Amino acid sequence: MARTFQLEIIATDRVFYKGECEHLVITAIDGLIGIMAGHEPLVTSLPTGELKYMVDGVWKYAAISEGFIQVMPDKAVILADSCELPEEIDIKRAEEARQRAEEKLRQKQSIMEYYHTQAALNRAMNRLKISQKHFK
Amino acid sequence: MANMREIRERISSIQQILKITNAMYLMSSSKLKKARSALEATEPYFYKLQETIESVLEHTPHTAQMYFDRRTDIPDDKRKKGYIVITADKGLCGSYNHNILRYADQKLDEAADIDNCYLFVMGQVGRMYFQRRMKSGKQAYVDGEFLYTTQNPTLYRAREIAELVLDKFEKHELDEVYLLYTDMVNSNLQEPRTLQLLPFSRRHLGKAADGTLKKLPKASFVPSPEKVMDYLIPQYAKGIIYGAMVEAFCCEQQSRMTAMDAATNSAKDMIKELSLLYNRARQAAITQEITEVVSGANSLEDQ
Repeated sequence: MARTFQLEIIATDRVFYKGECEHLVITAIDGLIGIMAGHEPLVTSLPTGELKYMVDGVWKYAAISEGFIQVMPDKAVILADSCELPEEIDIKRAEEARQRAEEKLRQKQSIMEYYHTQAALNRAMNRLKISQKHFK
Repeated sequence: MANMREIRERISSIQQILKITNAMYLMSSSKLKKARSALEATEPYFYKLQETIESVLEHTPHTAQMYFDRRTDIPDDKRKKGYIVITADKGLCGSYNHNILRYADQKLDEAADIDNCYLFVMGQVGRMYFQRRMKSGKQAYVDGEFLYTTQNPTLYRAREIAELVLDKFEKHELDEVYLLYTDMVNSNLQEPRTLQLLPFSRRHLGKAADGTLKKLPKASFVPSPEKVMDYLIPQYAKGIIYGAMVEAFCCEQQSRMTAMDAATNSAKDMIKELSLLYNRARQAAITQEITEVVSGANSLEDQ
């Protein structure tokens, strides 16, 4: 049995995961970071991306959008806008969101609107990617 | 003794109001159910966010990040303070609006110079209140373009608001930002609260287990404290605003439900009282008529 640490993943609309975890891999701003028990204190932010964590020797995957993580030697807390398992992703909705965002990007927009649309597109693409990758 | 017709009219008008308040009660109770489940879902996030930020700030090394700029060179009476106030869109919810508005007034009075206060009011009731006050004299400035509803809070709306205030802070249009909202302590107790959003201040010292102050260990920030804070603070602001919106919306529905329940009950009491009066008046009228008939008959017999 590998050493474990307490992992909490909390999204704005629910507590996604709370319990022991052996290994956590996150996508931070500048690349992947792997976290195991006894990691040095660390704070970093998470852009929209993929997340995987190992519980009882099994990898679990999740789609996460915008959040941050605080790591302590014995625990890690992830706070994010949303977090979903691949099988929970509504492919139809994500596909619609992607089309809507692409359509919007073709229009003339202010810089702010452009960033918003890009972020929305990013989220939709991420959902689609993760659901296709891990759930068939 | 009151007129029978008057009483009857009064009763029927009360019955009309009763129908309205009862309908509003039913509506708000179903809305409350929704708001409450949203609150239950968001509360862990809201509290964890505050807790985590607190501990992150304890472990933050020195940073020149712009949101940590306390602007100490600006004197107290020149500081531009921004207040985000969350009120309801409609009235008829007991003392909910009254409480948060009075609380906001208190905060404004405490501010060194009211001319440098800027209000960002969510919800129609609060906006009208402060705009009326602004026109009537020297009062805090209300941003008229800040038009956001408090109904059904969404993350999207919270993001827009967070971006707006952060942008104003960056441009030095605001030096401090506070968030005023109503917190749901439990279903019977609601309290207006203030959260300071900006600027951030990190803590150098923390209380150790034995009560003495000690220097806190610093965590590492990847890639750099500034970079992380660039992402983390807008994220935090958005989360906090969203959480506060959810709390306030739930409070609004709760107090509307309570107020409408009370109104329905007192309308029922009034109807009860009035129908007693009405019956009495009717009885009196009948008695009087009988007396008149009898005395009329008697006088006929006497002749």
